[in-house]
Parts: sequence; C-alpha cells; structure tokens
Amino acid sequence: MAATFFGEVVKAPCRAGTEDQEEEEDERRETAEDREVRRQLARKREVRLFRRQTKTSLEVSLLEKYPCSKFIIAIGNNAVAFLSSFVMNSGVWEEVGCAKLWNEWCRTTDTVHLSPTDAFCVFYHLKSNPSVLLCQCSCYVAEDQQYQWLDKVFGSCPRRNMQVTVLTCRHVTDYKTAESTSSLHSPFLKALKTENFKEPPCCSLLEQPNIVHDLPAAVLSYCQVWKIPAILYLCYTDVMKLDLITVGAFKPVLSSRSLKGLVKNIPQSTEILKKLMTTNEIQSNIYT
Amino acid sequence: MASRYDRAITVFSPDGHLFQVEYAQEAVKKGSTAVGIRGTDIVVLGVEKKSVAKLQDERTVRKICALDDHVCMAFAGLTADARVVINRARVECQSHKLTVEDPVTVEYITRFIATLKQKYTQSNGRRPFGISALIVGFDDDGIPRLYQTDPSGTYHAWKANAIGRSAKTVREFLEKNYTEDAIANDNEAIKLAIRALLEVVQSGGKNVELAIIRRNQPLKMFSAKEIELQVAEIEKEKEEAEKKKSKKTT
Repeated sequence: MAATFFGEVVKAPCRAGTEDQEEEEDERRETAEDREVRRQLARKREVRLFRRQTKTSLEVSLLEKYPCSKFIIAIGNNAVAFLSSFVMNSGVWEEVGCAKLWNEWCRTTDTVHLSPTDAFCVFYHLKSNPSVLLCQCSCYVAEDQQYQWLDKVFGSCPRRNMQVTVLTCRHVTDYKTAESTSSLHSPFLKALKTENFKEPPCCSLLEQPNIVHDLPAAVLSYCQVWKIPAILYLCYTDVMKLDLITVGAFKPVLSSRSLKGLVKNIPQSTEILKKLMTTNEIQSNIYT
Repeated sequence: MASRYDRAITVFSPDGHLFQVEYAQEAVKKGSTAVGIRGTDIVVLGVEKKSVAKLQDERTVRKICALDDHVCMAFAGLTADARVVINRARVECQSHKLTVEDPVTVEYITRFIATLKQKYTQSNGRRPFGISALIVGFDDDGIPRLYQTDPSGTYHAWKANAIGRSAKTVREFLEKNYTEDAIANDNEAIKLAIRALLEVVQSGGKNVELAIIRRNQPLKMFSAKEIELQVAEIEKEKEEAEKKKSKKTT
C-alpha cells in the first residue's frame, strides 16, 4: 500500500520477493468455500427470461420463440418513457416475456422480491402485427450479464432479416468534442449503426473518439458480428433523470422506417408523457 | 486525465482547468430554472417552482430571497449552499448600512458574493459553492441592475439572463425576444419573463413564481392568481398572433 500526495491510499505492487513462496501458493488455492461463494454469486447474477403471467421460464431464446422483423429496444428511463408515450399508446401491445436480473446497481439485496423498475426488461409484441417486438429496459445490465442477456434474447443463431433499433441516453459530459461544452445544445441525438444497416439515420452519426457503453454497445456489437442491420440512437443530455425535454429529443426517430407505422397520436402522447413525469417525480431538497 | 486533477480544488490540470469549479457548474444545472430581466423601470425575477411534498410547508421552499429592501436574488443549485451565501450577504448588507449609513449598491453586494465564492475556489479542504445567483435591484441613482454570479466567483451585468436547468434554451429565447418594445413598460417585462420560463417549465403557469422590484418600492412577490392572469393574457396573445398568421397565409 502506498499513500499519494493527496492522502489517498492506493495498492502498489511489492517488488520485494516473499520468502515463503509455499505459504502463498496454499492461500491462492481455491477452497471449497470459495467455490461455493462463487457459485452462489453466479446464481444470484443469472439473467432469467420468463413469462410473468404463467411464471414459466422460456426454454428457447426470445427471438426464437417470437421471430420478428422489427426489434425496438429502449434502455434507460428516458428512452423507456419515450416508447411508452409515443409508441405504446397506439395499438395493443401484449407482454411476451421479461428478463429478470440482479446486480449491485439494484437498490435491494433481496434477489427474490425485486421491483419491476429495478430488475426487469419487459418484452412486448404488437397484437395486430406480431413481427414487431419491443423491449423496455430500465434496469442496469452489468458487464458480466450482458452476454447472458444477449444469449437469452437473441439466441446463438439469430435471423438476419430483422431490423434492430436501440434508444438510450448518456450524460453530455461524456461527449468528447473539440468544441467547448458550453456551446453544445443538449439534449442532442447521435446515431451509430452496423455495417448492414443501409437506411439513412435520423440524425448525425456519432463522431470519434466517442464510444458507446453498456448494454447498447453489447447489442450493437452482437448485431455487427451476426450481420444484422441495427442502429443505435443515443441522446446526450444533461438531465439523466426522467425529463420532458430529454424524451422530446428522441422525436426525430419517429420518422424512421421502424417507428413510422407505429406512431398514431402525437398530441395524446405528449399528454401521456406529462402524466408519466408527474407520477415519477422524486421529491428531493438538495437542489433548488 | 480529468480523474487525476479533480480531487483537490487547489490543483490546476495541465491544460489549465480547475475541475472542481467546472463540476460545480454542473451542480447548478441540477437546480430548476431562474430568469432575470432588467426593464426600464422594473426588474423581474422569475423561477420555476420546485414541486413541494404534500406535508412540506411551501413558504420554506423559496428560490427568490430578499437581501435588503432594494435588492433581491434568485439562485439555482445546492439549497444549503444558497442559504449560507444568502445569510452572509444579508449580514453584509446591514453591516454596510450601519457602517457607511448608506444601503449597498447592487454591484457592491454582487461583488461581495462573488468574492466569497472565489475564496472557496482557492482554499484547501473546501469545495466551491454549487450555486449561481441572479441579483437584481435599484441603486440610489434609480438605475435598475441585474447581475449574475457563478461558482467560479465571476460576476457580470446582464440585460436578461437565465440560470439552472435548461438555462441555454431560455437564454436563446431571451436573445430573440428581448427588444426595446418587449421591455417598453413594466407589464411587458413581466410577460417576457413568464414567456421565457414557459418555454421550459414542464407544467405551465402553476409552477412559476415571480418577483418584481419597481423603483423606490420594496420587493413584491406575485400571488398564484396574479401569475395565472398573466399566463392567461400571454396565451390569448399567442392565439391572436396565430390567428393573424393563418389569415395571412389564406
């Protein structure tokens, strides 16, 4: 251990060799207890896909059971609110499954009784056109769970004749640009697409050296590898909590081919959105 | 690079940033919007009212505070920091009055607040104040003033400005709409402030709070009813303007 100039303690590797090499090796060998702890942790962090109504888990991947031509995924509360108010208010959407997962980001240590917003990704399809699949994911999917999520949702051999659209948000301070950040007009939309996505995007493409993180990145990488046309619409905003203006920034996506046919009533959508805002407002006195 | 230089306030990064001060500006953006307008004979402060919990006493959740009879300020950012700054400013106002037998000028008290904020950006073991303030008032010479301070300790005079969440949108609206006609009389200046706020306030007039100071008069806080009346007038004017537009096109 070493102390830095600012008084923080950092772990520094020790160059002095230890005298008792054997003792160290004993410590490094895994005990049965370690293995059990690791097994329990893996079980806790498993991503489970099941039908809420019947409480039965899906034996095959979601897209194998419900093949689709359009798959729209909303990750994060603003993207979820956008789909809820603009897309899901028209037509009848039926829940076809949900993915339940726990990680350190969940606000509870109880892995059994998890609240929907904490730990669920819900999947819907349009009753009148079951080839349109929608995913509302407001929980955080950790790095070690992303592969499981992709495997359970997309499967190991996905069809290529579908189009994937992902919507998500990121804080504007993550956006790297040569311009001064005070001149950035946030929220703004950027797009990143796979090679097989041939349509023009609804906004400008994400410039280098910006990168995409977490589940949206995992989905895009997966689609790129499997040659599935996919596009990610990333909204950079300075308000990460549920916000009317941030959700409004997704509106250009309504003109894309995936969403065009699905949106019917925009004024009603704005009303639904306002209602969502008021019901989800968290009371806090820290900032005024 | 940022993570190595943002822990201590007194450390510059190689490219000249004081990251803690810049992060404090982000804290300001977490507060709700406040707008200030300097008219010819009036100064107006409008704020987006924070939603108050059911059991909370509304009077204790205030974004607009009087510093003296002729000066008031609105802030955006950390509530507790604002309370400390406001208390110090109020004490300074009275101390000045007792020492020099004259009330503070708006510029004096703004400079005092800005100096206080700057001290906290150059002191080890402390963090900057996470608030920006809009300070308005009239001096003895009868000229209206509007100043804005930020966490770095800078202050500038403005004709109209906004701070807090969506401040940029409101400032752009003001840049387009702040004209000599718009502030021709007191009522027009008040309406401009409300219109600017309505651009970004999520639930309309009932979430707006307004305060004005007229020359040689104390601070006046608008009641909810008065604000409603103004909002109704603004909506009527909007409708009439749209009707005229549609008539022109047909």
